[in-house]
Amino acid sequence: MKLNKFCALSAIALAAATFSASAAFGADAPKRLTGGGSNIIYVITPSHSNPFFKTEAEVAVATAKKLGYDVKAVSHDDSPVKQSELFETAISDKAAAIICDNAGADATVAAVKRAYDNNIPTFLIDREINEQGIAISQIVANNYQGAKGAAEVFVEAMDEEGEYAELYGLDSDTNAKTRSTAFHEVIDQYPDMKMVSKQTANWDQNLAYQKMETILNAHPNLKGVISGNDNMAVGAAAAIKAAGKKNIRIIAVDGSNDARDEILAGTMTATAMQPAALIAQTAVEQADKYLKTGSTGKSEKQLIDCTIITKANAKKLNNFALSK
Amino acid sequence: MNKNNLIMTLLKGRTLIVLGLLVLLFSLASESFFTTSSLLLISKHVALYGILGIGMTYVLVTGGIDLSVGSVAGVAGMVAGFLINKGFTIFGTTIYFSVPSIVLIAMVIGLVIGFVNGIVITKFAVAPFIATLGMMYIGRGFANLISNGATFPNLVGNKALGNTGFEIFGRDVFNFPVAVIILIVIAVIAAIVLRKTPFGWHILAIGGNNRAARLSGVRVDHDTIIVYMFSGVCAAIVGIIATSQLVASHPMTGNTWEMNAIAAAVLGGTSLMGGVGTIVGTVIGAFIIGVITDGMVMCGVSEFWQMVIKGLVIVLAVIIDQYQRDLQARMALQARNENK
Repeated sequence: MKLNKFCALSAIALAAATFSASAAFGADAPKRLTGGGSNIIYVITPSHSNPFFKTEAEVAVATAKKLGYDVKAVSHDDSPVKQSELFETAISDKAAAIICDNAGADATVAAVKRAYDNNIPTFLIDREINEQGIAISQIVANNYQGAKGAAEVFVEAMDEEGEYAELYGLDSDTNAKTRSTAFHEVIDQYPDMKMVSKQTANWDQNLAYQKMETILNAHPNLKGVISGNDNMAVGAAAAIKAAGKKNIRIIAVDGSNDARDEILAGTMTATAMQPAALIAQTAVEQADKYLKTGSTGKSEKQLIDCTIITKANAKKLNNFALSK
Repeated sequence: MNKNNLIMTLLKGRTLIVLGLLVLLFSLASESFFTTSSLLLISKHVALYGILGIGMTYVLVTGGIDLSVGSVAGVAGMVAGFLINKGFTIFGTTIYFSVPSIVLIAMVIGLVIGFVNGIVITKFAVAPFIATLGMMYIGRGFANLISNGATFPNLVGNKALGNTGFEIFGRDVFNFPVAVIILIVIAVIAAIVLRKTPFGWHILAIGGNNRAARLSGVRVDHDTIIVYMFSGVCAAIVGIIATSQLVASHPMTGNTWEMNAIAAAVLGGTSLMGGVGTIVGTVIGAFIIGVITDGMVMCGVSEFWQMVIKGLVIVLAVIIDQYQRDLQARMALQARNENK
């Protein structure tokens, strides 16, 4: 008992003692960041075990190498703490710039601010943060437009009526909300379309498989599934196949090769391809331009439109880019 | 004999030797590695796993395990975030606590969770692995429930409410990370208590031979409960530091960190069977993990190889540990035979 009390007291004493030393935490007027001094670009993304992030990282690395930079590609595994540590590592490595697909709109702000304070420009890709003026660019796919487009295909494939289920992404992720809202803005206009179940499957294929099994069990008349991402859609498609069901329309957002194969096989209806490759490339090119000239020539927030992938154009899709 | 003695010395200092070799290796591989700023940074990252590892060492020494530490860190961080951003509403009035009281509240929550773990393990005779596994899920659930899965952003407080200054635990004082100071303070106290006080001897005895300890008058249940409370409070402190570094509290903070805490303790020579373990060893173990992780990032090693290498280091450490114990036993036997 004494020990615990002692620990508690010493930590509090420490807090009190260091209280006055706390530094100011406010944003200054925009200044030109020149980089940490080295020629290294850090590419920080979620785990490369997801093909989307793998493509994103690979394209960023390739583009940066072509422009003559050294590149370090690392993963934050969706942990804001690990991400913050990686930012610090990049700072002490004197990185020229950081390209980051972040681990949380709020939880990333402090890390980006720290890079900013250390004269290192950050270029955010794929997901935004809830703060402006500390990252140089925030280049994201237009999830809203993509999800809406996919939902339009869905409504048509469903003949504007019937029961459907929704698989929702990670609750804490803004993209999950954006996509779901866009889906419903389109679908809810049709009174005969009825959502019978909405489940969160954390973007995860295995979890989506399990949830889909449960949903199918409870709703034998299910006619369609709207999914926040391709992973969950592919998991749902597998569960539908395993249950011996046919003609269930599935739409999603992402544009992965897995989804492409499902669309070609007829088990998925459509997906909205986020141009991961284009976004990553654009971010690195802007980083290069910014380091050389002090400006990207673009506003901070930039939206890049998604392409709707259906059976008609699925063949051309490879690694989040359409061949001409 | 002499050869054996030399091997023994090398084996005893192996964690430090490995750490030294790793630092040397990464210094050669990346020029920015062996700089004051990098080393301070690594220490700061190590602090999180180190503090968890110290609590874990106490638990492991009693022959138990605490899988709930990562979740406790998450809950503590979320409670702190909640109290700063939302305050505490009771009878329609909202009270905003000062940062020291918030830290205290979060630590008390760690204590209480540890207490519950201890009670379930000692009074209800649930295996520590199961009891704390359950608590791991419960804790993570509550961490998410506090905000319904959302993040509490921008925990800078409000001057008018008198709750500013929470960022300090993630920052530096006189260019020295606060987290590292906390690690040092906890490590020194924990090391002294484990080696120099009756309580420390008792918990080593509990892990060495539970029955014998009980028969010789050690208050086994009482001391075991305190050990889990200590682990809980260490976890809460880590949650506060992690949250403070992000200036935001995220409900998944601390997810799977219990594994790093166990790894740090095991690398430092703590036995999962109980009865054996040192705080210094655990801190060195945490540094080995930290140096590998940050070093490989600076050298640009792929994340998949990082996992492989981390796993190899842990298993190798235990193999060497076993070898040392065998050798020790053999040398003791030899010495006894010679004396005859």
